[in-house]
Amino acid sequence: MALLCASTSVIFSSSSERPSFASLKRTIPSNQSSFLGFFPVVALSKPSSARTTTLSFSKRDFRVCCQDLSLVPENQRWMFEESEADGPDIWNNTWYPKAKDHINTEKTWYIVDAADKILGRLASTIAVHIRGKNLPTYTPSVDMGAFVIVVNAEKVAVSGKKRTQKLYRRHSGRPGGMKVETFNQLQQRIPERIIEHAVRGMLPKGRLGRALFNHLKVYKGADHPHEAQKPIELPIRDKRVQKQR
Amino acid sequence: MNKKEILKLAKGFRGRAKNCIRIARERVEKALQYSYRDRRNKKRDMRSLWIQSINAGTRQHGVNYGNFMHGLMKENIQLNRKVLSEISMHEPYSFRALVDISRNAFPGNKNVVLPTRKADVSINV
Repeated sequence: MALLCASTSVIFSSSSERPSFASLKRTIPSNQSSFLGFFPVVALSKPSSARTTTLSFSKRDFRVCCQDLSLVPENQRWMFEESEADGPDIWNNTWYPKAKDHINTEKTWYIVDAADKILGRLASTIAVHIRGKNLPTYTPSVDMGAFVIVVNAEKVAVSGKKRTQKLYRRHSGRPGGMKVETFNQLQQRIPERIIEHAVRGMLPKGRLGRALFNHLKVYKGADHPHEAQKPIELPIRDKRVQKQR
Repeated sequence: MNKKEILKLAKGFRGRAKNCIRIARERVEKALQYSYRDRRNKKRDMRSLWIQSINAGTRQHGVNYGNFMHGLMKENIQLNRKVLSEISMHEPYSFRALVDISRNAFPGNKNVVLPTRKADVSINV
C-alpha cells in the first residue's frame, strides 16, 4: 500500500465514469464454480475495506479500455448475429488496441532530472516507460508507451571508474574508421548522446524501436521546450538509482 | 496442389514469389510450414502476453506477478491468465480487489536476502 504513493503520480484521465461493482456481474466468465461463488462475496464483504480505500481510489482514476457499453438498438439488431448483439466480446478475445487507443497527442509526458542518477538504472526505467511495459495495455506491436523528457543530461553519474574507462565506439564504415572516446570526453562534447545511447540499447531494435526512440527527449540544461505538454514526474521504483555521495 | 492454388496462396508475397510459380512454390511451402508451427506458437505467445499484462497491472499496485499468482493459488481462485489480463485492463477496481486478496493470502517473502553491496569500493566523483 505504501507503494501507492509512488504510483499516484501516474494519473490516467478517465473518459468514462467509474465502473461500479455492478458491472462485474454483467459478464462473468464462469470458468469454475468456485469463482462464481466468490465474487458476490467480494462485492458484499468488501464494502468496508472499499470505503477505506475509496480515498486512495479517488486520487487516481483508472482508464478503462473499450468500456463503451453501448448496446445495439432494437431496430438494428437484425444486422448483427446473436452473439454480437450485446457489443464486442471482451472476455473471450484478447484486447488489441484500436487507433484511438494510441493517439500520440493524448499520451502521458514524463520528466526526469538526470542529475546524480546512475546512468544504467535511469535508462532502464526510462525505456520501460517509453515502451509501455508498465501498463496492463502493453502490446508488443503497437506503441502504447509515454514520452519522457530528460533534463540535466550532462550531470548523469556512473559508479566505479567508468567515468574514465567506459568507451563509446563508433565506426564510419571505412577501413580504419573506428573512433573511440571515453565517457568523460563524450560528456564534454555531446552530453545528450550518453543517455540516448543508453536508452537506445534498451529499446527494441526494429522499426517500432526506432519510432519509440523518438519519444525520448534529452536536454543539456534544466530547461526544456515542452511545458505545454505538462509533463509529470517520472516514478522511479529502483532504490539504487541515486548516486551515493 | 496445382499452380493456380499455389499462386492464390502466394498473394501478398514480396517480389517474384507472388508471380513466378517456381519461386512461389518454395515460398508457399515455407509459409504453410510456418503457419503450422505458429498455430502452436500462438498459444504460447498469447499466454506470455497475458502474463506480461498481469505483471504490469499488479506492479501498479505494488505486487509482482509471482507473488500475485501464488496468493491466488493459495486462495484457490482459478481464474486463468487470459481473464486476469482482461480484468486488469477493463475492470481496474475488481483487479485491485484481486490484488488485495492475493496480498492478504501471501504477503510476500520476508526472508529475502538482498545482495550485499560492495561498500568498500569508493565511488569516483
